[in-house]
Amino acid sequence: MGLQVKSEVTQGIAKITLIGEVDTSTAGMFKDEVDKVALQSPKEIVFFMKDLNFMSSAGLRVIVFAKQKLGAEVPIYIVNPQEGIVDTLQKTGLHHSVFIVDAYPVKG
Amino acid sequence: MESKTFPATVESLTHIREYLTELSAAAGLDKKQIYNLCLAVDEVVTNIFLYGYGESGQKGVVDVYAEMDENQIKITVEDDSPPYDPTQQKLPDEEDLKKPLEDRPIGGLGLFLTISNVDEFKYEYVNRRNRNIFIVKRSS
Repeated sequence: MGLQVKSEVTQGIAKITLIGEVDTSTAGMFKDEVDKVALQSPKEIVFFMKDLNFMSSAGLRVIVFAKQKLGAEVPIYIVNPQEGIVDTLQKTGLHHSVFIVDAYPVKG
Repeated sequence: MESKTFPATVESLTHIREYLTELSAAAGLDKKQIYNLCLAVDEVVTNIFLYGYGESGQKGVVDVYAEMDENQIKITVEDDSPPYDPTQQKLPDEEDLKKPLEDRPIGGLGLFLTISNVDEFKYEYVNRRNRNIFIVKRSS
């Protein structure tokens, strides 16, 4: 199925949209996009995952990498991830360090 | 028993997931069980491709076998790379999983996901082949 990734940085907010599947064969594309937006030193990073159907530990590694690359003070938002991905984030404890939200900007 | 053979390259990962999805849907597993099984197998097969065959420089295949009965679906993955028992590896403990991301190692979660996503995971070395076995109970 593969992966499509697109990104933009607007007013200091990095947005990366992931469509398809992140596994070891595609995680490099995800990491490249994190590297690209990191050049602009964003103050927040947002991963839109509504249409991401699968994410293995290769994708988790990119999220950990993003946190370490951008710094602890830069929040990571994960928007509308599918049930299996939420389950993975919870099992591995990553949900303690990211904000899992239904929409971005966060309402309320 | 059904089986299918895949070349040992990361491009096979998506095809293995498609095969597992087809089999486990036919076996009546629900969406969450199917996802978890695909993830469990993906992590182990990735290690076989990258470290088993990859580090030994061997080219090869993985054979995926499926057996089903009224209680469970059993997926067996066999390969010819050097013997490697994933069940002997240290897993992250509760403390590790509570650490903030900035203090974590980048890797180490794959096998943890395998073991936590199936009802049973076993390893055998038989006839000079690695055999990784994943069992999902229908009722779980």
